[in-house]
Amino acid sequence: MSTTLKSRWADDNDDDPEVEAQRKHEKEKKKLAKATKQRKLEVKDSAQEQQQQEDENTFNGEAERPAKRRRLSEDAGMPVEAEPKRAICLRFPAPEWGPCRHVDNFEKLNHIEEGSYGWVSRAKDIVTGEIVALKKLKMENSPDGFPVTGLREIQMLMEARHHNIVHLREVVVGDKMDDVYLVMDFLEHDLKTLLDEMREPFLPSEIKTLLLQILSATEFLHSHWILHRDMKTSNLLMNNRGEIKLADFGMARYYGDPPPKLTQLVVTLWYRSPELLLGSEKYGPEIDIFAVTGPPTQQTWPSFRSLPNARSLRLPPSSKSASVTGPVLLPRSKFPYLTNAGLALMSVLLALNPASRPNVAECLKHPYFHEDPRPKPKEMFPTFPSKARLERRRRRETPEAPKHGAEAPQLDFADVFSAPLEGDTGEVGAGFTLRLG
Amino acid sequence: MAPIQGLDSLSNALATLAQLSTSSSSLDGVPTDLEASVRFAGSLLTQAAGVLLRLPQEVIAQAVVIFTRFWIGPEGGSLAIYSAKDISAASVYLTAKLSFQPTSPRSVLNVYSFLLSKEASPLWFVNPNGPGVQPAPETYYLSEGTYQSERLVLLRMEATILRTLGFQIRVIIPHTIALTYLQTMNATSPALAKRIFEHLSAALLSPQLLYVTHQPNALAVAAIYLGAREEGVKLADGEWWKVFDVDREELGFLVVAMRSMNGFAMAEKDKWKTQPIPLIADDVMEELEKKRASDGD
Ligand SMILES: Nc1ncnc2c1ncn2[C@@H]1O[C@H](COP(=O)(O)OP(=O)(O)O)[C@@H](O)[C@H]1O
Ligand SMILES: [Mg+2]
Repeated sequence: MSTTLKSRWADDNDDDPEVEAQRKHEKEKKKLAKATKQRKLEVKDSAQEQQQQEDENTFNGEAERPAKRRRLSEDAGMPVEAEPKRAICLRFPAPEWGPCRHVDNFEKLNHIEEGSYGWVSRAKDIVTGEIVALKKLKMENSPDGFPVTGLREIQMLMEARHHNIVHLREVVVGDKMDDVYLVMDFLEHDLKTLLDEMREPFLPSEIKTLLLQILSATEFLHSHWILHRDMKTSNLLMNNRGEIKLADFGMARYYGDPPPKLTQLVVTLWYRSPELLLGSEKYGPEIDIFAVTGPPTQQTWPSFRSLPNARSLRLPPSSKSASVTGPVLLPRSKFPYLTNAGLALMSVLLALNPASRPNVAECLKHPYFHEDPRPKPKEMFPTFPSKARLERRRRRETPEAPKHGAEAPQLDFADVFSAPLEGDTGEVGAGFTLRLG
Repeated sequence: MAPIQGLDSLSNALATLAQLSTSSSSLDGVPTDLEASVRFAGSLLTQAAGVLLRLPQEVIAQAVVIFTRFWIGPEGGSLAIYSAKDISAASVYLTAKLSFQPTSPRSVLNVYSFLLSKEASPLWFVNPNGPGVQPAPETYYLSEGTYQSERLVLLRMEATILRTLGFQIRVIIPHTIALTYLQTMNATSPALAKRIFEHLSAALLSPQLLYVTHQPNALAVAAIYLGAREEGVKLADGEWWKVFDVDREELGFLVVAMRSMNGFAMAEKDKWKTQPIPLIADDVMEELEKKRASDGD
């Protein structure tokens, strides 16, 4: 809009550390000068307060007179005239803000993992010696400025203070405008790596404890109108004290009631609930509930043919006539180690029709959590060697959440329900495979 | 930055006393009244841009709060370095991006180009004499070259805001809270609701920085109190505001501050009736020079 402006930003490189440093230095000098003037200032402040006080009195005295008379007869406790007040009157502890610190305050120890949205490393706070996880946000030279996914991730982590959600300590920055890092509490494991490396699977009592924590985090998020939208094992962190913390809010969104149009481009395919796969534009907290357990199996969902992508879905003939009223149980043969209650819970969690999935509170009340074996106390959990702490871990093929800005993958649904559909007796459920076209 | 504390779902980050006592602009020699004027004009500009971009009221209000936060405290932005118009544009762009109604850099810059045009702008603090009768489109259209350079500035200012605020960019707006409170008290009437919204929107422009010194529940209660009085609506008996966690002292302060908004706005308009309010850093500096010169006389 003006040439002065252009020159200001085009030539005068704000990133230039020297310019920056000099500016800082000058600021410091001024701040010092200011501090010496502080006493004077305080005097002035109180003078200003007094002035305001007078203003208020005049104001109340003049303009307010008619209203005042009327009010006297109406209600007794008039606050305005009642007490003198200071300029800033109430100061309960509230969150504050301040500029981001520099990433140089941390010393990188080792690289942990590269996912789809960021690089994560283990690092040490140079001053306190505390060990943290640093996640560098991927900017992918976005033409629209700061990626909205990163913004949401930060915002939601700031808001989502819960025992089972990873703790974001602060956001730090590097020299370039694009260098932004999340500083989080470090956790020894993510569930995916841990499950890959474990020699013995978790015991049923342990699974219950883990599941309860995951559900607790989910309940918290949903009560704050946050959908995680990418619940899966690699985004579930675990420490050596049996505690689970949900991480990776790169796909998270606020949702309203009624739900606004959200993007379909969410949730790594294996964990995606069918209404997402089939192109529904409206979805709600049920999608996270679905993901708590994982891949679906054949079920019924009466109205799903009306969803956009359902047209491309070739269903085996028998499914058209399928119409089931009560919750359909998953095939028992696929889950030989699960109790009846466990099977029942898993079946409703994976219900294809979102409306018949329970909400988190209902899940937590489920008999599964109250029958033996009881959830194992967290303190009794075994500990495991931490790949993140000791060495670079082996990477396995895992489906990634779609890249931001990419098209929702075109799905070939021919194979989705490819298993023979003979009720809930046989191989159904194992046949969930998706091909990306 | 300050360590991140949990955000209650209905509370905002507030400025500390230290932040309120010294601003970056004042460290650079910008007088407090000039700073207040520029902040006021910048907030009005932000609102006008939001309206032209057809953003929801809530998003516009959030943008104004972000714009306000940016200048606060010794580590905030300085008017001697950053242009209010750029921070305003980036606040709008950033808030819209996080809303359900994002907008493009091009739309934002087109709107600002119009609103800041010396020929076409309808804003009194840009054009004290009013816009020309039929301003030529060239005077407010953004050429492709200017667009490209302005876009870079916009994105750079977006990053600057984020860094300066330590990413504390979530803003809870009191408007819906006020409506909920009204419902609780069985006092909903369209006229009253309108009044309340007017007070809440005007309070965004307060030189007392109400939105960064008070929580939304308190702002809501004060606007209800004031609106009800003005509309002659009788609310619950007794100290009903206590139910909403607001004490008498805070309510009193806010009510006075809200009632003084009109006077403040009139005074500003009067003060700047012959000259635009500087929304560019260089113009602020020029204003400083002029002031120094006249003080020296
Ligand atoms: N706070 C943390 N402590 C330890 N490891 C972590 C932490 N946060 C992330 N990780 C590791 O980094 C991986 C990727 O992090 P994530 O936040 O999921 O990023 P992405 O968006 O790239 O998937 C996780 O699967 C986990 O192995
Ligand atoms: Mg991940």
